[in-house]
Amino acid sequence: MKIKGICLILVTMLFIIKPVCSFAEDSPLLSIKETVDGVLDILRDPGLKSVEKRETRREKLRSLVYARFDFEEMSRRAVGRYWRKFSSEEKGEFIHLFGKMLERSYIDKIESYTDERVEYLSEKIDGQYSVVKTMIVKRNGLEIPIQYKLILKNGEWRVYDVLIEGVSLVSNYRSQFRSILRRNPPEHLLRKLREKTAKKVDAVKR
Amino acid sequence: MVQRKRAVTLAVLLLLQLLLYPMADVSAGDTGKSESLKTDTAEQQALEETDQDDLVVPDPLEPFNRLAFEFNDRLYFWILKPVARLYSYVMPEDLRMLVDNFFRNSTAPVRIVNNILQGKLEGAGVELARFGINSTIGLAGLADPAKKDFHLEEKDEDFGQTLGYFGIGHGFYIVWPVIGPLTFRDSIGRIADAFLDPFFYLEDDWLRISVWGADEINSASLHIGDYESIKKSALDPYISIQDAYIQTREREVNR
Repeated sequence: MKIKGICLILVTMLFIIKPVCSFAEDSPLLSIKETVDGVLDILRDPGLKSVEKRETRREKLRSLVYARFDFEEMSRRAVGRYWRKFSSEEKGEFIHLFGKMLERSYIDKIESYTDERVEYLSEKIDGQYSVVKTMIVKRNGLEIPIQYKLILKNGEWRVYDVLIEGVSLVSNYRSQFRSILRRNPPEHLLRKLREKTAKKVDAVKR
Repeated sequence: MVQRKRAVTLAVLLLLQLLLYPMADVSAGDTGKSESLKTDTAEQQALEETDQDDLVVPDPLEPFNRLAFEFNDRLYFWILKPVARLYSYVMPEDLRMLVDNFFRNSTAPVRIVNNILQGKLEGAGVELARFGINSTIGLAGLADPAKKDFHLEEKDEDFGQTLGYFGIGHGFYIVWPVIGPLTFRDSIGRIADAFLDPFFYLEDDWLRISVWGADEINSASLHIGDYESIKKSALDPYISIQDAYIQTREREVNR
């Protein structure tokens, strides 16, 4: 009898607590869907396709991407153990430049997928971390799996890594940064990043 | 009685989980002291990730590999890409997909044997069924009804993966001219798998090379832009490709 009573209380509590939990934040999958759909909507918007509108379009894309991607977290992970060697100004500049670079390559990539279909497959939550699996299906039937790794910060799911065909973007950059930072000070890497991001602006202007 | 006990345990576990979950949430949302604490753990996690997850394969031949990489880069931009472009003007994409299927189907023996070698009998069965269906109904492998109608997904295995399955590491990294990036282990694997490729047994050398070239050009025509975009977003394309190759192979062995 007693046990039955306890069970009843527990079950009741479940029903009380559960809704409170689920109201705490959007699901990671919905967060990704919102951002990716938003990006695709902007890219497909005929009113934004003209050359004069290009800057407005980029600006809109940028604000969407910056709201979802956690470039600080990505920077820290991409630099790994060498992050301690960076001064706080260097950290700040690095986050800015790396963010710029990632934003461009992500938008470039997704820009080439405008005619393709995006499938949102699943989400897996483990505490404050989660993984969302998506699939890009090209018109010719080729499939490209894209996974997003997210971290819960201040009640919002934010992306800290993207895996394209199973290859982690952050790990890939980490191996590149490691090969530079192993023999050079942070300033050397920053200089390379400055060159890289500046070069790309020129390429767009031309 | 036992059932009841189980129900209670389950309920307690559920409750614990639910109680702990919002708590983690609150601490994550907190500012100030716990914020700096959290940053610290995130930093630690990033560091641990660096040390544990990152597989660094030795690259004693790096100077030579970089030369071969440069060579392959030019081979792609000067020859393979223009030829693939020209070819894609003549051949509609749908037909190129059929050619891709055809070549993919012809290497089914490699996948069947390597599934068996790793004791993955279900995988071997699926590959055998795919080979049978696609070679017949699929018109010599041009179409892929095995996937479309029977929902049989490819179970890719090769001898490099088989060696990995038996605990043999990647060995060092090698960039072969023309062939591209491989590790020492995967180079051995490639040679072994060649014996299971039906086109390997073509008598005429020129015919064999032509078939191989056709496969390369067709496949390149379907992936124009991929290498360019990797190169564009990389700070050091050589390292970027090396890491992507190792990450891919590591995942393929461990799945």
